[in-house]
Amino acid sequence: MRSNEHLISELAGELRPVAPMTMSRGLAVVIAAAGLSIAAVAGIAGVWDGPAAGTATIFYYLANGLLAMSGFACATDVVRMANPGVGNRYDGAYWSLAMLAIFPVVAVGTLFARGLGVQAMNDSHGLECTLSATAFASITASGLVFWLRRGAPANPARAGLFAGLAAGALGSAAYGLSCPIDTLGHLAIWHVLPVLLAGVIGRIVIPRLLVW
Amino acid sequence: MKADEATLSRLMIKAQAGDRKSYAVLLSECNKWLTRYFSGRIAPGLVDDLVQEVLMAVHRKRASYDPARPFLPWLAAIARYRWIDYLRSHYRDHTEELFDDSAIEKSGDEAVMARISLERLFGSLSPAQVVAIERVKIEGQSIRDVASATGQSESAVKVHIHRGLKKLSTLVEKAD
Repeated sequence: MRSNEHLISELAGELRPVAPMTMSRGLAVVIAAAGLSIAAVAGIAGVWDGPAAGTATIFYYLANGLLAMSGFACATDVVRMANPGVGNRYDGAYWSLAMLAIFPVVAVGTLFARGLGVQAMNDSHGLECTLSATAFASITASGLVFWLRRGAPANPARAGLFAGLAAGALGSAAYGLSCPIDTLGHLAIWHVLPVLLAGVIGRIVIPRLLVW
Repeated sequence: MKADEATLSRLMIKAQAGDRKSYAVLLSECNKWLTRYFSGRIAPGLVDDLVQEVLMAVHRKRASYDPARPFLPWLAAIARYRWIDYLRSHYRDHTEELFDDSAIEKSGDEAVMARISLERLFGSLSPAQVVAIERVKIEGQSIRDVASATGQSESAVKVHIHRGLKKLSTLVEKAD
């Protein structure tokens, strides 16, 4: 085995400048990926003109606003996970997702209490929305994985889970721009489900890409 | 010379910009710091090997240091990550006495050291998990010997090690 001094000399000899992974650069990656998701949604599925015309329900703005903000808050913590450090905390991701969870829980509870739950579950467009939003989430997920792979996430399992959840929320918010179904049941169930689905996929698939 | 947090941070920023001289000084300081950090938490004969692994990880992942944040917690997170990985994959083939903890040179940044020390991680495990990991993974005793000495089954010792290491891997950034 070579000595530590010899290794240090080798490593110093092959040093090349690197761009530090700062928060602002990471957020730029997230914003670019989210922008690309919106462009892809607009190009592939088209944009619904209801919100611009003022005909969308209040649920539409609430649901997509919550998804976008939760996704962005969660993605911010994922970006931070690329810079390891003893003492780092990622409470923002947990709280933002907890806030998002209130929406489907309250909506589903209310709908079932009024006898409208089964109707909301039997939404013929629901699965299509969930799968499409999850597919668009892959764009943001790719951006986050790119960033995390450059960095050194100390807990790849957690980073994978939160990257999936963040991508799911941002992908669903982007896909929401094209979906004209703005009922409470549809938005609270089928547009929030991609967050869960992407989180599960992220937890299973992404950690193996992050081992260093 | 023993570099403080501010000096290490400045050296790292220069290293990220490609300054080889600063980088060599930084790695030498990291070498000393890591040797102290791992003393008593890995078999003495393996300290150099583990320190080299961490130095190579520091080299590969040097972009992940954010100049706006302190250096030592970053280095400690990388050291903990590699240490847990090392415990998972390396069994010692012979038993050696561990260094006495009192041999660890006291750092000037006592508060920082306390927050990022490896002892903090063990404090989050159950006593049975700590004993199993220390005796088998660090001291190199056999599972059979540890089972016999602690009055547990071999399976129980293996479970303690597996669960303990799994838990440790989720606590790399834990400070409190």
